[in-house]
Amino acid sequence: MTNEREPILELRNINKSYGSVKALTDVSFKAYAGEVIGLVGDNGAGKSSLIKTISGVHNPDSGELIVDGVTRHWKSPHDSMAAGIETLYQDSGLAPDLTIGSNIFLGRELEKKGILGKLGFLDQRAMERKALEELEKVGITVPLSKRTVSQLSGGQRQAVAIGRAAMWAQHVIILDEPTNHLGARQSLEVLKVISAARDHGLCVLFISHTLPHVLEVTDRIIVLRLGRVVKDALTSDFTVESLLGTITGLNT
Amino acid sequence: MSTVETPVASSNEAPPPSPLKRIATYAANQQFILFLVLIGVMIFFDFHNTRFFGTSEFTNLLVDFSEAVLIAAAEMYVITSGGIDLSVGSTIAVSTVVGAYAIQYLEGHHFGEFPSLLVGTFVCAGVGGVVGTINALLITKARLVPFVATLVTLSMGEGLALVFSKGGTVGYDPAAAVWSSTGFWIFRWLTLIVLGITVILGIVLHVSRYGRYNFAIGSNPFAARAAGINVNRHVASVYVLSGVLAGLTGMIWYFNSSGGAPQNGIGNELEAIAAVVIGGVSLVGGVGRFSGIILGVAILTVVHDGLVFINVATTWNEVVVAGFIALAAVLQSLSSGSKRRT
Repeated sequence: MTNEREPILELRNINKSYGSVKALTDVSFKAYAGEVIGLVGDNGAGKSSLIKTISGVHNPDSGELIVDGVTRHWKSPHDSMAAGIETLYQDSGLAPDLTIGSNIFLGRELEKKGILGKLGFLDQRAMERKALEELEKVGITVPLSKRTVSQLSGGQRQAVAIGRAAMWAQHVIILDEPTNHLGARQSLEVLKVISAARDHGLCVLFISHTLPHVLEVTDRIIVLRLGRVVKDALTSDFTVESLLGTITGLNT
Repeated sequence: MSTVETPVASSNEAPPPSPLKRIATYAANQQFILFLVLIGVMIFFDFHNTRFFGTSEFTNLLVDFSEAVLIAAAEMYVITSGGIDLSVGSTIAVSTVVGAYAIQYLEGHHFGEFPSLLVGTFVCAGVGGVVGTINALLITKARLVPFVATLVTLSMGEGLALVFSKGGTVGYDPAAAVWSSTGFWIFRWLTLIVLGITVILGIVLHVSRYGRYNFAIGSNPFAARAAGINVNRHVASVYVLSGVLAGLTGMIWYFNSSGGAPQNGIGNELEAIAAVVIGGVSLVGGVGRFSGIILGVAILTVVHDGLVFINVATTWNEVVVAGFIALAAVLQSLSSGSKRRT
């Protein structure tokens, strides 16, 4: 957390309104490579609006978004992906009927070499092989990438989805409630993958309502309330009680 | 089948299954069961009428097969992408009628036989493309569910075919039938062209980017969109493709019935859907093998023609088909049940 380092992602005075509803007010923070940041807040605190602003679903009304030292203006989520930001939305993750390899490469398929590739033929074998390699790099061992995702457990599925994001992101991955609907052991698998992604030098924005998970896996926590950043502090400064108090506004 | 055994380099791979287990895997494979059913049905009919395997009957089988296979393939594309197209049958009717008018006009203006038929083919495909475009707009722009959108074009096509043709056959054209009956051995040229298109459709569905997106969208449209796939554009293109294939089938009907009759193809969407179900394709999208629907169409065609051959009233046809659909559906639910248990 040495502040002499250049932040990989920086928000400066981001404002966003939907009609007369002010969703984000002067939101500013810095995020660095190799750290996991917990983004917490009650429903309506502005978490979703913030994710959508960073991932390019919509643009802020005012303020600056800086990725890797360059001020950015997204026209679409494609732009943020191209700039090295991958977002995993709740429940949008994977196509269950496709193989693991096909899912990892969905939208970025490898084509065969030569004329067949020009005709749109896919190199399935290479995709399956590389998918396994890349997943292993972030500590995910799946039985065989030729299996369809529907044959995996919920925890494995989410791990593969995060592995996919980690594989394609150059700088930042945004995870929206990745441990939702998962059992304790499966959540643990997912948290392990998040740590592995950080160790690979990625910046992880971890959005969750499950405060014990947030306290376990993050380095720093940013608390949002009514569209404002009310606290930005190291995770070690929080307990479940104090974090809950900050979220609800009982202790400020 | 030997390609299944190619080893994939991976440290955490399970040891190769025992031969007995491998046989069990094949036996549980729906395609394999369908293949056995097809052989069984053919042997059954041949047993009852030894002329069933005769060359001329095989030619007829292939002609009937080619009338059904393109719309079944169209339905496969649409259903695996998570939709349904009820309009393919009536699109055959409206395109065969409009195509017949076009051919009649051209031949009346001293165009040659072949160029007229060629232009007619493009007109049929174009009419199908228009119907498909209407479906695509209703689904992606007006946001109708595919069932309702294609129900609209089903009724519209059926009605317009009657309006355009004034209820009768347009352009009696026996020369077309003569031309289309040429070929070699058991194949007519027309059959070969249809088989060629079918093979291409199968390859595109299973090994190309377009096919991959089709399955991805049918499996989880949200994930497909998040992965950067233009879901609306793909879905629209699938309905246009389906319309074009139905239009081409309209031209096949023109050849086979020597003119454009407004009742051609009416109700055939259900046969196409039946073939897709028998072929083991999931009606909710995302799952299916093209070889399955080929076998589905083949079984339906053989049963349809075979019943005639052993002098069973054709009215029984639908009842027998119902039995096959039930069998296929039960097989599918049993095999997915066994998957859930493991």
